[in-house]
Amino acid sequence: MPVSLNYVVKRTVWALLVIIGVIVFSYIFLYLAPGDPAYIWAGRPRGVNATIAIMNARRELGLDKPLPVQILLFIKNVFTGNMGVSIEYKQPVSVIIWRGLTATLELLIIAYLIGVSLGVLLGIYSALKRNTRLDHGLQVLAITLANAPSFWLAIGLIVALAYLTGFTGYGRVDTRLAIATGFRPITGFYLLDSLIEGNIPVFIDVLLRILPPAIIVATYPLGLGIRMARALIAETLGEEYVKAAIAWGVKRRTVIWRYAFKGTIPSLTQVLGLAFAYSLVDAMIVEIVFGREGLGSLAYHIIGKSDFPLVIGLMITVTAFYIIVNTLADILQAMIDPRVRL
Amino acid sequence: MNRAVLIGLILIALIVAGLGYYWYSSGKTGPNNATASRKVLVYAYEDSITGIDPSIEFDTGLVVLGLVYEPLIYYNPLQDKFIPALATSWEANENHTVWTFHLRRDAKFHDGTPVTSQAVKFSIMRALEYYEKTGEGPGYIWEDLVRIETPNNYTVRFIMDKPMRVDFLVSASYGSYIYSPRVLEESGVKSPLDEELLKWFNQGHEDGSGPYMIESYNPESMVKLVKFRDWWGWKIYDINKAPDVLIIKIVTDDVSQENGLIAGQIDIATTVPLQDISKLLKKGFSVLNTTTYHNYVLMFNTRRYPTNITEFRLAVAHAIPWDRVYREALLGYGRIDNSLIPYGFPGHLDNYTFTYNLTLAREYLEKAGLLGKDLRVEIMYEGTYSQEALFAQILKGSLAQLGITVELKPASWDQMAETGPTVWDNPDQAPHMIINDWWPTLPSPYDFLYSLLHSDSKEWNWAGYNNTLFNNLIDKAWDLEGSNYEEAMKLYVKAQNIVYEEAPAIGLWDEIKPYVYNPRHVAISGEAFNPLYMYVLFIGHLEVKG
Repeated sequence: MPVSLNYVVKRTVWALLVIIGVIVFSYIFLYLAPGDPAYIWAGRPRGVNATIAIMNARRELGLDKPLPVQILLFIKNVFTGNMGVSIEYKQPVSVIIWRGLTATLELLIIAYLIGVSLGVLLGIYSALKRNTRLDHGLQVLAITLANAPSFWLAIGLIVALAYLTGFTGYGRVDTRLAIATGFRPITGFYLLDSLIEGNIPVFIDVLLRILPPAIIVATYPLGLGIRMARALIAETLGEEYVKAAIAWGVKRRTVIWRYAFKGTIPSLTQVLGLAFAYSLVDAMIVEIVFGREGLGSLAYHIIGKSDFPLVIGLMITVTAFYIIVNTLADILQAMIDPRVRL
Repeated sequence: MNRAVLIGLILIALIVAGLGYYWYSSGKTGPNNATASRKVLVYAYEDSITGIDPSIEFDTGLVVLGLVYEPLIYYNPLQDKFIPALATSWEANENHTVWTFHLRRDAKFHDGTPVTSQAVKFSIMRALEYYEKTGEGPGYIWEDLVRIETPNNYTVRFIMDKPMRVDFLVSASYGSYIYSPRVLEESGVKSPLDEELLKWFNQGHEDGSGPYMIESYNPESMVKLVKFRDWWGWKIYDINKAPDVLIIKIVTDDVSQENGLIAGQIDIATTVPLQDISKLLKKGFSVLNTTTYHNYVLMFNTRRYPTNITEFRLAVAHAIPWDRVYREALLGYGRIDNSLIPYGFPGHLDNYTFTYNLTLAREYLEKAGLLGKDLRVEIMYEGTYSQEALFAQILKGSLAQLGITVELKPASWDQMAETGPTVWDNPDQAPHMIINDWWPTLPSPYDFLYSLLHSDSKEWNWAGYNNTLFNNLIDKAWDLEGSNYEEAMKLYVKAQNIVYEEAPAIGLWDEIKPYVYNPRHVAISGEAFNPLYMYVLFIGHLEVKG
């Protein structure tokens, strides 16, 4: 087993410390920020008892306690599975975040599949055509894609789509179609749900709507994939064992896929794993531009509303996502590459 | 190219072609032909829903409450007309301390049980008692209620401790919605004041009697409502014209609402970029401009130099170029109105205007000995509202001509709500000027005048204004409303005269709300919106096309 118990324990402790750090930092930041969430919690109280309502709201939210006590209570609640109730929406934070998370993850996964598969293929092709015009062109494309601001690309794509086809890919699903066909989300992943229900019209509609934003989110892993795959393959092609294989007359395709590419998988896994985590932020931004629900739209609306349980809940979710993806990437690398021991 | 790659490319081409054909054959805005069986209306709302407890919610949840629940009667201030809802008739005793309402016999709750007087008592008492217990919610409107009697299932009697206009109370936009007492059983609580009942409502449960029932409730993204076929109103309005499914889609960004309209995913938009409305009209969309009772008020800190000087405040009032505000800040979608009470609302006064006159403004400054002095003032406003931000910039430019330097302080709403009341305890830390916005709960001038300028209203009187005569006048007027409405209105005028002369606050504008809609999907008449119930769709006055 490439993963030791020591690693798991150490990683878990670090993860918990990071999450506690995020909670403490976020809480203090939100505490110092102007604005009083009690006014929102109490719902614009009027009448002669309005002041009492504000005081009650502060007590209900625990804001009447000293700051360290508030933070400790918040941490205790989080680690007992209670992220609190949203001040704005009056619903459990975990429920709201789960609804947003499924939407964002669905977009991210589709984008990542597109970006990585295409990026690695183009990277390999570029490595095989080293120092040609095509190679240079692909390198420029890769740098551009990996660095272009996603919101800007998203706006450009919407304008282009609207101009050329009249279709903007707005929202996650055509509401009328979903109602007409009796579509009822089960997991929150609409592509999966529509397949489970055998609802092909909704599946196609969801797919068509997810493709434009997914293409934008895919630009980062695509650009990174091209550059990484090209560099790694080019390097591996110069290795002695690859040269030996060529000299032995092994087929070109076998040399590329079985020797050269296989050797790059551990490094690619590590880098592209991080790209998956990084692309979460891109997905959150792009979904706002495309009018899709998700964590990004949620954050966009809630920021500046002093809804500290929900804001911290979002911070914890994003942090946990990074930690989980990074850990999985490490474990995957260790499983693939026998030289790596965790 | 080898065979495998060729087959792969052909397969991809076929899939793309198939998807393309599907989309093309479905029309550019989606497969509308599939909706023939059920009429769907998508209503984009510009804010998230802050709660849907019919007795406690006091904010944006109104857009849902108004479709799911009903009061005893509605009131239309523009026409000064009461519209029967759950009550068909009502009367008061001679001195207006006892009001009797007769309920319609064909009204049912969504659980199938009839709407009874016991349900009315249960709902109103919960609003009042929750307010008495916590200070939260709109239950304060029932503070003068002594008890509710239910002589029979369809008669309900309100006993008040003084003469009151209970017809105004039962038609309030908050705090008067009726629901089934079975909510206790359904939520598993014993007491109406149990916090678990509040949570139960906010999870998306309901048991109202309105034309729609909640099917799913995601306050951050979408509320799905389905038609209640046993609604009594379908005997008056054509059930076939109303949508079977009504989606309230939360789209807080105006550009996203515009995109949704164009993409065919939104039928009625509550906010689009104002400068784009003419473009949308050219594209075939329609617009319904509606009067609202949502007004914006500039409040002066009356406890801090120099805004504590009446002449300074009057100078500012006369230094505002109202035409520019109308053109550049409101883009025509607002009514310049210096009265604290919006146009069309009881107690509104047409003749209270501060004309733009820089000479007069200088005279006021000179009279106060302020002309030529280095005057610096702050203005706080809600930064996310472009109209407020543009107004603040226009004011800054105009006051600069009088030698007054204005510091702009954009803030979030809750930051303003936290800062405004500091005028009472720490006036030098509160801004000199702050823009407050208000919309009413009750159709009474008292709602605006008490909340904004009564010295007991410490949370919303951001001017720190304390004028005993003004307080007494509006308190007396409120007490008189039940017994001598005309005299009460005269007292409200006297109180507003004081405000006009002293200018602790000046009305800026009343919002005009342009609802942009797709006429191919929906036809809307003006009565579909009543300004007292902001954003509520009165479903009998619109028609969804098949």
